Amino acid sequence: MKSKKSSGLLQQLVFVGPSTIFFAIIIVIPFLLGLYYSFTNWNGVSGQVTWVGIDNFKQILTKDPDFGKAFWFTVRFTVVGIILTNLLGFFLAYFLTKPLKTRNVLRTIFFMPNVIGGLLLGFIWQFIFVKGFSALGEATGWHFFNLPWLGDATTGFWGIIMVFVWQTAGYLMVIYISSINNIPKDIIEAAEIDGASKMQILKSVIVPLVMPAVTVCLFLAISWSFKMFDLNLSLTKGGPFRSTESVALNIYNEAFQNNRYGLGTAKAIIFFVVVAIITSLQVKLTKSKEVES
Amino acid sequence: MEVSKKYRFGTLATEIIMVLLALVFLIPFYFLFVNSVKTFSDLLTNSASWPSSFEWHNYARAWDITNFPKAFGNSLIVTVISNVLLALFSAMSAYRMVRHNSRFNKFLFAVFVAAMVIPFQSIMIPLVKVMSSLNLMNSIPGLIVAYLGFGVPLSVFLFHGFVKSIPLEIEEAARVDGTSIYGTFFRIVLPLMKPMFVTVIILNTLWIWNDYLLPSLVLQNADLRTIPIATFAFFGQFTKQWDLALPALVLGILPVIIFFLAMQKYIVEGITQGAVKG
Amino acid sequence: MKKRSKITLASMLALSVVLAGCGSKTDKNADSASGDSGKGATKTIHIFQFKVEIAEALNKLKADYEASHPGIKLDIQTVGGGSDYGAALKAKFASGEEPDIFNVGGYTDLNTWADKLEDLSGEKWVSDMVDVSKDQITKDGKIYGMPMNLEGYGFVYNKDLFKKAGITEIPKTLTELDAAAKKLQDAGITPFVNGYQEGWIIGQHTLNVAFAHQEDPSAYIEGLNKGTAKFAGNKQMDEFMKLFDLTLKYGQKNPLTTDYNTEMTMFANGQAAMTQQGNWTQVQIDGITPNMNIGILPMPINDNADENDKLLVGVPNNWVVNKNSKVKDDAKEFLSWLVTSDQGKNYITKEFKFIPAFKSINATEQDLGALGAEVLKYSKEDKLLSWQFARFPEGAWNEFGSSMQSYIAGKSDKDQLLADFQKTWDNLKK
Repeated sequence: MKSKKSSGLLQQLVFVGPSTIFFAIIIVIPFLLGLYYSFTNWNGVSGQVTWVGIDNFKQILTKDPDFGKAFWFTVRFTVVGIILTNLLGFFLAYFLTKPLKTRNVLRTIFFMPNVIGGLLLGFIWQFIFVKGFSALGEATGWHFFNLPWLGDATTGFWGIIMVFVWQTAGYLMVIYISSINNIPKDIIEAAEIDGASKMQILKSVIVPLVMPAVTVCLFLAISWSFKMFDLNLSLTKGGPFRSTESVALNIYNEAFQNNRYGLGTAKAIIFFVVVAIITSLQVKLTKSKEVES
Repeated sequence: MEVSKKYRFGTLATEIIMVLLALVFLIPFYFLFVNSVKTFSDLLTNSASWPSSFEWHNYARAWDITNFPKAFGNSLIVTVISNVLLALFSAMSAYRMVRHNSRFNKFLFAVFVAAMVIPFQSIMIPLVKVMSSLNLMNSIPGLIVAYLGFGVPLSVFLFHGFVKSIPLEIEEAARVDGTSIYGTFFRIVLPLMKPMFVTVIILNTLWIWNDYLLPSLVLQNADLRTIPIATFAFFGQFTKQWDLALPALVLGILPVIIFFLAMQKYIVEGITQGAVKG
Repeated sequence: MKKRSKITLASMLALSVVLAGCGSKTDKNADSASGDSGKGATKTIHIFQFKVEIAEALNKLKADYEASHPGIKLDIQTVGGGSDYGAALKAKFASGEEPDIFNVGGYTDLNTWADKLEDLSGEKWVSDMVDVSKDQITKDGKIYGMPMNLEGYGFVYNKDLFKKAGITEIPKTLTELDAAAKKLQDAGITPFVNGYQEGWIIGQHTLNVAFAHQEDPSAYIEGLNKGTAKFAGNKQMDEFMKLFDLTLKYGQKNPLTTDYNTEMTMFANGQAAMTQQGNWTQVQIDGITPNMNIGILPMPINDNADENDKLLVGVPNNWVVNKNSKVKDDAKEFLSWLVTSDQGKNYITKEFKFIPAFKSINATEQDLGALGAEVLKYSKEDKLLSWQFARFPEGAWNEFGSSMQSYIAGKSDKDQLLADFQKTWDNLKK
């Protein structure tokens, strides 16, 4: 009995130990330090760190409407973003698992936006919105290209959404493809023999069987869009008039532009708690829909 | 084997629509490429048009100024080592956490999941404090450690979901045959996880290869800089030197595109193998 | 079999630990070699700066300086413009690898960093600083930094287009500016291109005009901090709004989608006659249309010609010395060399293309280009308005910019805008 227990401990250490150690050093400890700063008025530079209790939290919750606005923007962005990327990703995967002649090339193309990293990607798209769209607008005369892209609240929002979907849909597509390919062929064939239509097969066979992939994809999309920073900074910097400011950007500005590091981390803590609650609910919800093996 | 599927009209229509959609997806790459071979004034004035003359020396200059081979080497080392260790450690943790679903492991998993939503910017100052007290600053291994820490949550999460779908019977059979738990994991479970390895490695490669903020904080020595840091050196306070930044960017993403094309074969293979088990 | 896998595991664990611990050790050695400054061997001065534009010239300077100063090495790091220098500098200090020389802006930025800075009042170059550069880097009567350069802005204008529209006199009052804009418009030329998408253009430079025109800008800002002065009802604020409206009335469409690049491209291609910018745009303009016939106009807010014929000139940034640096004497020596030796002066004017902030350094139009020369001319005639935006509460310019964008978009009127300014100031002041 005793030796079994100790070997269990050894296994735990060997299997879980390495990742936990790195995780603890890089995320947990800095996070706890940040937690401490959230109760201070530290400006990020000086040697003076004064404990201010829950003042920061009080100020955020009562006197900072912009934080609420940023939260609301992030929520809207997340909802629209995850729906669009997942729909597009899934349908790309659905069609690209059909016997198309060009499907390997197409898969690569749809995936390619992922090879450009966040900030640079944003700078390029900003270039496209500003220079490219106006050139296209002149050439085609289409109203769509002549909108004031990134210049007002609406086009700013949809501009970021567009880039976000463009970038992430191909990624989710890969996950959906591997999931759809994992569906045993005979199940689909059996359904076809039974005379089920394409829509019926999609709805009653494929979708339920890719639910595990849906969990993963939803989660990925949520955590990406909630933390969205690079795109936001490089596309609109939160403007015009803070109408497209995400929470991550709001936190960053508070900590580094306004030099209120303590207040910034307090915002981060609030944000973390809220998002943690939302995502754990989401994981619970979709997990319950998966078929347990 | 009987792949002789009927290539019907419906499939053709799908194909055409998908190709058109793909062209739309490629538009930004068109901008990226054509502007990378224009002069500075040309790219700002005629951004959408086909280049009137191809300034290939933009590439040569970008190559020299970024010291591309050096930056490429650094990026490669960081990406490869982080990837291998990250995938391995995460697979091990996920396996243990699923198969030994103790209260502690449940808690740990929840912490991993929660940590994924911490915005990086909010912990970056404490992070450099911790890293410098452990002598991890300004070194490639230090950067790798940071990637292991930041990468573990998502990778464990992905493997966690996958391990659940691996039937227990295979492992049990091996255990009955007297194989140790370690042997079971490395020789039986690990090969089964191949499809998820592919996914995890792609995800982490893209992230690490393109990451800017973390290496910009950790690596300060010019000899250690990675491709994104070298590329950003073209963006000044007022002027963005697009005629150099765009070629550098193209040079930086080509390896990843090649990587993905090469990996695609393995994806298909991995998935086929995954299908065998079912 | 069993054993082998155990060994693999153990070695992997060991590897990761070694990776974490050992790799950095080699680095530590390298570091201490350079940190061992007092011991006679080579001393290294670590410089951490943000001006990407001069990074290449600095590398040349490094070679020259090291050649003429044996025993000193310069380690120069430049932070790319994609990220924010302030954040990078804070991270640097948090990590304990504090640079010996770095950049700090005036006023508010100076206050943030003051307790890290060496007092430079005793340096020999202090007496040569131009007057406009002193205030911003002075705290409690001490000078804490060496001004990097002077920069000036106003309305950069296209002289050829002005001629084409038949404008012979340069406008020096608001009425004249309005008339000139009208003439341009009648000639089918867009008078203004406004880069109002950029927070720094609108929230710093544009709004600064209202502050700089105050009779005593310091007193006004002091008053705002104490609550005795207000935005609403201030005479200069009211007048400034007329100028702001004028640029919008005669501006291109979609000012909120116009970023700095677009703004400069339109201007350099002759698609607009004026744009609110400064001498730093010379490089950008030369890159698109070399030898353009351009100059800088004042930004008048009323009809008093004497009061308005001035450019807005200030010090964008300063070189400072870390007071905890082990090589601070060498760092001071280096800064001193930069502005007193012929070689250093040459770098400032010919290589960096800076408008010098020192009376003892001469620059020519050839060095600086048309715009720099114009700023230099105004500065020599002492026809200057100051940069006050560095005194705004931290982060305020960002908010001001947002409020002004909101006004441009028609989401608020003038009263609302001034009320927004007030709210921002009161919220962010310390």
